[in-house]
Amino acid sequence: MRIVLVLILVFLTLTGVAHAGDLTVSVRDTAGRPVRDAVVTVRPDAGVPRGPIRFSWPLRIAQRDVQFQPYVLIAPVGATVSFPNLDRVRHHVYSFSRGNRFEIELFGQDQTRTHAFASVGTAALGCNIHDQMLAYVRVVDTHWAAKTDATGDVTIAGIPAGPARLVVWHPRLNVRGNESAYTLTIGTGPGRQTMTGDFSARAAVR
Amino acid sequence: MIRFRHLRTRLTVLYAGLFGIALLFVALAVFTAITASARSVVRGELTATGAVYDQLWESRSAQLEQGAAVLAQDFGFREAVATNDEPTVSSALENLSARQGVDGALLLGSDGYAITAGPSLDEATLNTLWTGLNDGELSSGVLDLNGQPHQAVAAPVMAPVLIGWVVFIDRLDQTQMTRLEELSAIPLNASVLTRAADGWRGMSGPESALAGLMDRAVAEDGAAVGGRTAQGEAMVLARPLPSFDADAPAVLALSYPMAEALKPYEPMFWALGGISLVGLALLVAGTWFLSRGLTRPITALDEAVHRLQAGEDAQVEITSTDEIGRLAESFNAMAGDIRDRQARLTHMALHDMETGLPNRLWLERQAASSASAHVVLFGVDRFEVVRNAIGFEAMGQLVAALGARLSTATGAPVARVGAGVMGLMLEIEGDDADAIAAAARLCAVANEPLKLIGARIDASLTAGLARAVQPTGGLDAVVDRAGVAIDQARAAGSKAALFDAAAYGDPGANLSLMSDLICALESDHVWMAYQPKFDLRQNAITGVEGLMRWNHPKRDFIAPDLFIGMAEETGQIRALTEWGVRRAIADQKALAKAGHRLKVSINVSGRLLSDESFARFALNAVSRAKADLCFEITETAVIDNPEAALGIIDRFAAAGIKVSIDDYGSGLSSLAYLKRIAADELKIDKAFVMSLDESAKDALLVKSTIDLAHSLGMTVTAEGVETQTAMALLRGMGCDTAQGYLIARPLALTALIERLEKPALEAAA
Repeated sequence: MRIVLVLILVFLTLTGVAHAGDLTVSVRDTAGRPVRDAVVTVRPDAGVPRGPIRFSWPLRIAQRDVQFQPYVLIAPVGATVSFPNLDRVRHHVYSFSRGNRFEIELFGQDQTRTHAFASVGTAALGCNIHDQMLAYVRVVDTHWAAKTDATGDVTIAGIPAGPARLVVWHPRLNVRGNESAYTLTIGTGPGRQTMTGDFSARAAVR
Repeated sequence: MIRFRHLRTRLTVLYAGLFGIALLFVALAVFTAITASARSVVRGELTATGAVYDQLWESRSAQLEQGAAVLAQDFGFREAVATNDEPTVSSALENLSARQGVDGALLLGSDGYAITAGPSLDEATLNTLWTGLNDGELSSGVLDLNGQPHQAVAAPVMAPVLIGWVVFIDRLDQTQMTRLEELSAIPLNASVLTRAADGWRGMSGPESALAGLMDRAVAEDGAAVGGRTAQGEAMVLARPLPSFDADAPAVLALSYPMAEALKPYEPMFWALGGISLVGLALLVAGTWFLSRGLTRPITALDEAVHRLQAGEDAQVEITSTDEIGRLAESFNAMAGDIRDRQARLTHMALHDMETGLPNRLWLERQAASSASAHVVLFGVDRFEVVRNAIGFEAMGQLVAALGARLSTATGAPVARVGAGVMGLMLEIEGDDADAIAAAARLCAVANEPLKLIGARIDASLTAGLARAVQPTGGLDAVVDRAGVAIDQARAAGSKAALFDAAAYGDPGANLSLMSDLICALESDHVWMAYQPKFDLRQNAITGVEGLMRWNHPKRDFIAPDLFIGMAEETGQIRALTEWGVRRAIADQKALAKAGHRLKVSINVSGRLLSDESFARFALNAVSRAKADLCFEITETAVIDNPEAALGIIDRFAAAGIKVSIDDYGSGLSSLAYLKRIAADELKIDKAFVMSLDESAKDALLVKSTIDLAHSLGMTVTAEGVETQTAMALLRGMGCDTAQGYLIARPLALTALIERLEKPALEAAA
């Protein structure tokens, strides 16, 4: 029932705009290979409708096999993300990222901790016990955000037509802040953008 | 090529040279081997030390990295870094750098921001460090800080992504290097160098000592290179060290001077050199003594040869039985032979082979050695007669026998001077007269007849004496003078005579007279003088007699008797007479030109009368010139070949040449020839005419001769008419022609012409 309600709301929101279009973005590295886990966000210049932002994926980063899953999570600003421990070892999750500093001290198997991400930006997550564990939470304030899959493509539907700002972020994108911004005009039909960049950088998250 | 005066020097130099060359090669080989070995040792040691330093570098890096990592992984520190808690970070760095004992530590953010503890880094250095850490995987390397090399070791700070590095900086100083040097077996020099834009820099400023070799050493990449440095020859090894600044590579330079490497071998070099010198000296001395022993007999032989050349005793002492000993033996034999032969030759040179008596040379030597003694020569009288009778061989026996008698009589050796002449030295107390008397007495040894070849032979001797102190008369050898004295004694009819230089004169001076005469005929030194002939019936000068005169350029006037007599003896008379004929013909023409027609008489030697070619010349010349000549002939000369001479005289007469018999009355005046010669004129010798007015006998002879000539159909000319009385007497006796000083002396052609201009008897008048 709740879901149905949400869907109706989304529908209403989308249809509430006179015209809306889909945008497919392909992210490629310099060799033309598809890049996964690139976060694409679109912000119409007309503004983002007020109201809570909902995504189709669960706001959750699990710890399994001494790794964070998923590697990149897109979360709306202010949303609470849960950290279930599926390993038998204990973890000590932390982030020193500006605005999203938190620390969840040692917690064991089948224990879940949560943290609400209050600032828009990127939080790099680590485990104080296991150095190899690394995950990113991309905190956004727009409805239109998604990450590329293994094909390097992502389609964002229902973007209001008109001028908009497109941002592509990836932890290894070799530009300042690991993100590239573009301005474009969203049409009423499906649109397509291809973004090519250097994905050999080290993540720079503060 | 060097020339040696002595064999032993040559041998010594040869052996010493060869040994020296061998020593040189040995020394070179030893030095090369030792140097190569030293190089190899040094190279190995440098390589080993380089490897050791790599280990040291690695362990130091690991130690520091570990220290840095401890801090970098600390959660609190990471949080402090992530939250920019600068005081906390700074204090943590200071704390750790003190604990690790490093010079400095810093946190370098991945955004380039730095928090430092200890020495501060300038922007450029931070930039270099950040670039090195950010770009490369470098965690440890050389960093140039304030111009000095430092070791920088970094550990990343992950939160959880990289947010920076903890970096430790430690100065690379001499203390570390000294530790490394102490680890090495050889005292090498270690240093960390960086290559800046202005050249290599060491740990305390610009590197100068090794600068020349560094580039090569770096190019060799870990192998040692040798070469010249500011401190002499050295070996250098360069090991690259990681450097944060890609433009300023850093190396560890290990160097070792070769002089140090060779130092341990120095005593060996000295010993080797000493041994070589001693060996060389021993070899030189040994060779010298050996070769001296070897060459001594040769030197003795060499000296003996020189003695032999000088005519001295040349026997060599034989000291060995080897080749040289045999050579010495042969040499002695040869020297003996030469001596014997020389003695024989000397004996032969000084002795007469036939008689065995000493010869003239011997006597001359004897004479030369005693100036006071008389040299007496004994000549066998009528030598040629005796020799022709008994022959040469018996003559030799005769001389030998007489010599033996003389030797017995005097007790002195007798020399055979000539074929029939013996000589001896006579020492007599007293003057020359005593010597002459003694010599005359010695001649008596020949009185007793000799028995030779079965026959008795009578011989007599004449002695000639001479002394060295006497006037030489041009004869230098006293023996020659004694020989002349024999002739002088014979001429004087005595048994013995002393050489008389005055009587001897100077015959040698006349030996070249004839060649002078031939030359003189070409010049005007020989000329013709004319003495007029006065015709007593016509009372006029009707003819002249041509007389040859010679003014020698050196000896002035030479008597006609001398040079004409010699010309007759030598055969030059023909050339002389032919010249006279030509002269007379020419002068007769000159007289005719002056208006005087005169008959010209020429003296013709009797010898020429048998000379067919002269006869042809004379007949030719006279008939060609149509001359009116008269040939005055000394009748004694005709005797040689009467038939030929008479024939030629007849041909002269037939050709119109008058013939006159000259000097009639002196010498042998043969009536037989007077009868046979078809002469036109008889000339009475002046000896009769000059004493005509004093001697009745002469007057009688002249008168009868005139009559005799007239009766034979000849005219008569009297020579030597000097007084009017004689002239008158001759006129009275019927003489046809007079010639003499009363009329005129012999005159030159011009003077004659002048004389002819005057009355014929001017002088007499």
